[in-house]
Amino acid sequence: MDQAQEQKITRRINFRIVKNKMASGVFLAATLFGLVVLAMLIYRVVADGIGWLNMDFITGKLSTQPERAGIMGAILGTFWLMLVVTPVTMFLGIGTAIYLELYAKKGRLQAFIQTNIANLAGVPSIVYGLLGLTVFARAMNLGNVALAGGLTMSLLILPIVIVASQEALRAVPGFLGEASYGIGATKWQTIQNVILPVALPSILTGAILSLSRAIGETAPLVVIGIPALLIPFPGSIFDKFTVLPMQIYYWTIDSSLTAEYANLAAATIIVLLLCLLLLNSAAIIIRNKFQKQF
Amino acid sequence: MKLKNLLLLSMIALIVAIAAACGTKEDEPSGNENDNANQSEDAGADEDAATLEGSVVIDGSGTVYPLMAKIAEEYMINEQENVSVEVSRAGTSAGFKKFLVEGGNDFNDASRQMKDEEAAEAESLGMEVKELKVALDGLTFVINPENDWAKELTPEQLISIFKADGNVQKWSDINPEWPAEDINPMGPNENHGTYEFFYENVLDKQDLADHVKLEQDYSTLVNLVSEDKNGIAFFGFGYYVNNTDKLQAVHVDFGNGAVEPSLETIAEDGDYADFTRPVFTYLNVDNAKEKAQVLDYALYVVNNVNTFAGETGFAPIPEEEVEANIEFLNGLK
Repeated sequence: MDQAQEQKITRRINFRIVKNKMASGVFLAATLFGLVVLAMLIYRVVADGIGWLNMDFITGKLSTQPERAGIMGAILGTFWLMLVVTPVTMFLGIGTAIYLELYAKKGRLQAFIQTNIANLAGVPSIVYGLLGLTVFARAMNLGNVALAGGLTMSLLILPIVIVASQEALRAVPGFLGEASYGIGATKWQTIQNVILPVALPSILTGAILSLSRAIGETAPLVVIGIPALLIPFPGSIFDKFTVLPMQIYYWTIDSSLTAEYANLAAATIIVLLLCLLLLNSAAIIIRNKFQKQF
Repeated sequence: MKLKNLLLLSMIALIVAIAAACGTKEDEPSGNENDNANQSEDAGADEDAATLEGSVVIDGSGTVYPLMAKIAEEYMINEQENVSVEVSRAGTSAGFKKFLVEGGNDFNDASRQMKDEEAAEAESLGMEVKELKVALDGLTFVINPENDWAKELTPEQLISIFKADGNVQKWSDINPEWPAEDINPMGPNENHGTYEFFYENVLDKQDLADHVKLEQDYSTLVNLVSEDKNGIAFFGFGYYVNNTDKLQAVHVDFGNGAVEPSLETIAEDGDYADFTRPVFTYLNVDNAKEKAQVLDYALYVVNNVNTFAGETGFAPIPEEEVEANIEFLNGLK
């Protein structure tokens, strides 16, 4: 090998090493971008809100006066909303997934439904709000109560739960089901005793993550028209309600009228973030605890 | 088995929810009718001692919302703690859509008067609607505190800054002694009654210049002007008076010397009259006759608007108009 050729090779190798370093730098920057923004957001929210976060704020009633305002009404509203969303979404979502994955014949119709569910997952949330307003609030005459809001939210997250549950069911190794059929079990017995228990951790993880989306969503509720000022606590799913993210939204847009509302919004964001963190950790724990390897 | 229990539980929850839904729907209407009947009897017999319950549903303008929310809260604290006054803020027009229907809302707040087609809609429904003027708002033009030249402007100068062919780009186009720097005009967008008022009553429906920045949120406008020496924006007086540390108001010279917008000058016959607009709430009179709590709340509103107007950035309405509204509402009892 002559000198010139060796130099050429070294140059090329150096170039590749530089390229590799650049790539790693770019992707590190991409990762950090999100993290830095998140850190800034959390820092600002905590700095603005921590001083206002106390028991009176958490257990108090809503008020137009910042020093009297509390968010128990919104916490209870979120609770009632989720009490509707959770069972409805779990039942319909997992039910649909079982039917599509395990019962339905593979064919044109199944493919058509499948495509539509995937498309529905991309429909903007405000459109679901219009649907909820027309069907639940108006046609079924429920009004703007927690039940109507909950059913609307269920529609919003159903496609995500269905797709996640389908993935989970598909990931169950085929030989498990075949063994069950082999000893004479019916389809439902197989699903009930073999497939679902294996798929359940992943299904629950997907469902819980979708539920946290429903907790943070405002657009469909804006359309249904939940009140901005509602002082009495909601006592059941048939009461008018408001939720934490709505309260954050209203306090933020009014902060140019009353400066302290910005602090109340920040304090509410802390409460909402803690709720979401709790839910997401539950999802992780469920996944780690129940996951079996085959 | 764990899984069975889980499935069973979720099914039971679903069934209970549905059963409860049907149950209440059947019970509710009759229960409410009874309540209402009792309440109207009570109100007729002894209005002061009567304890009312039920709800009062209000939607409409976001501009009027702070005033209505304040009054609603005071009413629930001081007058009738079992009545729930629910105030929403979908906007004047969106609110009218929920107001002008069978069994619609009890009140609709409005930052403009009811339009002819909305009045026609009410008539075709056979609905009696009463306009209650609740306060006065002054269209306020604000500039950056560092702006020491454009503190006083005439309406014509303001119009030339905002309208399409006003031939004003720089401050020096208005007055050669002012800085030769671009003016940055801004305001609320078309969703706001404030924009409509500015476009119809100040600009006389002439087009806005393309470089006028229109924003959805008032807080954005407040921030933009407070950071921009050449910014100028317009909005309701309330947004200025709560941000006097960040903004200064343009004093407007309508021909008799510059006038500062304030709770004293904003009045329909005051010095700031040309930029003063009334804000309203519309009452469904049929609902007020049927539900004692609606009428009681309506009376509380008209009796107290002037008490709470000032602290929410609105100017009070003349006493005669308050008296006239009280008289009308007492006639409904």
